[in-house]
Amino acid sequence: MKLYKPAVEAQKFWNPYTQTMARADLDRLHLRKLQTAIEYAYAKSPMYRKLLDRHKVKPAQVRTMDDFIKRVPFIDKKEILDAQAVSPPFGDALAISEDFFHQRFATSGSTGAPLHIPLTYHSAELWGESWVYLYWATGIRARHSFYFPFNWGIFAAFWSAYMGVRRLGATVVSGGGLDSKARLRQIEQYRPDVMLATPTYALYLGETAREMGVDLAKTSISTVIVSGEPGGSIPATRHAIEALWGARCYELYGIAEIGPTNPGCPLQEGNHLCEDWYHALVVDESGNPVPYGEVGEHIVTSYIQDGQPLIKYRTHDLVRWTDQPCGCGSTWLYYPGGVLGRTDHMIIVKGVNVYPAAVEALLHRVSGLSEHYEVHVDRDAANDFVTVKAEARSDVDGTRYADIGRDAAGVFKSVIGVSIDVTVQAPGSLPRYELKAKRFFDHRPAGHRWQLAGRGQA
Amino acid sequence: MTREETLERLRELQTRVQELRQASDNPAIERTMQLLDLYCHMARWELGDVRAMNPEAESQ
Repeated sequence: MKLYKPAVEAQKFWNPYTQTMARADLDRLHLRKLQTAIEYAYAKSPMYRKLLDRHKVKPAQVRTMDDFIKRVPFIDKKEILDAQAVSPPFGDALAISEDFFHQRFATSGSTGAPLHIPLTYHSAELWGESWVYLYWATGIRARHSFYFPFNWGIFAAFWSAYMGVRRLGATVVSGGGLDSKARLRQIEQYRPDVMLATPTYALYLGETAREMGVDLAKTSISTVIVSGEPGGSIPATRHAIEALWGARCYELYGIAEIGPTNPGCPLQEGNHLCEDWYHALVVDESGNPVPYGEVGEHIVTSYIQDGQPLIKYRTHDLVRWTDQPCGCGSTWLYYPGGVLGRTDHMIIVKGVNVYPAAVEALLHRVSGLSEHYEVHVDRDAANDFVTVKAEARSDVDGTRYADIGRDAAGVFKSVIGVSIDVTVQAPGSLPRYELKAKRFFDHRPAGHRWQLAGRGQA
Repeated sequence: MTREETLERLRELQTRVQELRQASDNPAIERTMQLLDLYCHMARWELGDVRAMNPEAESQ
C-alpha cells in the first residue's frame, strides 16, 4: 500500500459519487456547472462577452438545458485565434490575470497561426485529474511507475498525463532528450509499469526494438496508454500494440486547447466523457443534437479552463455517443469506437460515409501490411475518391506488393462497398512521428468538406 | 461517511484554511494554505457542491 488505505485502493472508480450517478442527476448537475461556466466567461473573457452579446444571450437567460442547447452559440478555433490576435498571445480570449498563470502551451500552427493555451494551477491540476479516472479504472495505483518516451516541449501533448501521474501519487520516469534506442534501454533499466505514447510511436518502438534485438513483450511494461491519435479504440491497432508489448492497451481522447476530455473505458472498446469536468453535445450539420446512438460532431464545454474559457467548442471530431449502461459500471456518456474521424476528413464515396478510423481498422486485416499508412482524398466532378498508401511488413518480398494492394482493395470493397486504390510501398518509405502522425491528406476543394451551419453558429 | 457529512467537514476546513492564510506572514505557509484552499474547492466540486469556477480569481 502506498498513499491510499486498502479499502479505498480497492474502489473501482476514482470518484464513485459522479461516475455512477443516474443520467437525470448528472444532467441536473451539468446545468449548474454550465451556468457557472457561462457566468464566469461572460464576466471575465472579452471574447465571450462579445460573442454572447452578439447572439443577444445573457447568462441569466440560460435557465434550462434547452436554453443552453438553443441559445448559446458554438465557438470555433478560428474565433479564438482572432481574439488572440487582438493583443497576442492571448488577447481577448484571456479571462484571468497572468498572475494566476502556471504554464503556457501552444499548438504547432501547422494549419495556421499557433493557438496559445494558458493554464492556471487550478486548471493544470484538473487536466491531470481527468487522466486519473483512466489510471484508476484500469487498476493503476500510486505504487506504479510511468514511462514518458517523448520530449517535453511547448505542445500540451502528454503534459497533462504527467500532471495526472502527480495527482495520482505514482512515479514518473522521463525519456525526454533521448532517441528511441536510449529510451528502450531506460525501460530495461528502470522497469516502469506503464508507458504513454501515440499509437504510432508505441508501434514504431517495435521497429527499434527489433533492430536492437529487444523483445518488448519481455519488458516490465504491463500497460500501454495511447493518446494523440485514434488507435486505442480501433481493435486491430490496439491488438497490434498489445501483442508487441505483451501489455494491455488503453486510450485517452483529448484536445490540446481544451484538455483530456475522454478517459478510455477499461473495457477498451471506447471512451467515456469525463463528466466531472466536461459537458458534451454531439450534433449534426445543422447544429442539432443527434439522438444517442448516432454519429455527429463532438461539441465540448470545459469546466476547467479558467484562463481561456471554452463553451460549446467545436472539436471537429466525429463520435458516436450513447447513454446506455456500460459494462464497466460507469454512467458517464460512452463513445463506442472512440473518435471515428474528423468533420474535415469526412469522406463520402458514391453516397457512402467512409471514416478514416474504419480505413485503418481494415488495413490491419490485410496480411503483409504494416501499421504505417496514408489516406489521400480528392474529388472528381461528382464524387470524393480515396487512395491509400501503405507500407509492407519488412518480411514481405517486393514482388508481392501489387498482390497485397489488390487484397486490400478487395477488403475495402467487400466491407465498405466502395472502391479504394491501395498502393503498397517498401518499409520505411513513409514518415515516422513521435507525436501526432499525419495520415490524412485532403486534396478536395474546401466547399466539399463538412460545414456546420444553422442555429447558434457565430 | 456520507456525502453531506464530507461536504460539511470540507466547508469547515476551507474556512479555517482561509483564515490561516490571511493570518500568516510566512510565505511558505501562505502558499500551502492557498493550495489547500484550491483543493477544498476541487473536492467540493467533485461532490457536486458547485460554486465559482475559480473563486480566488473571481474575487479580484
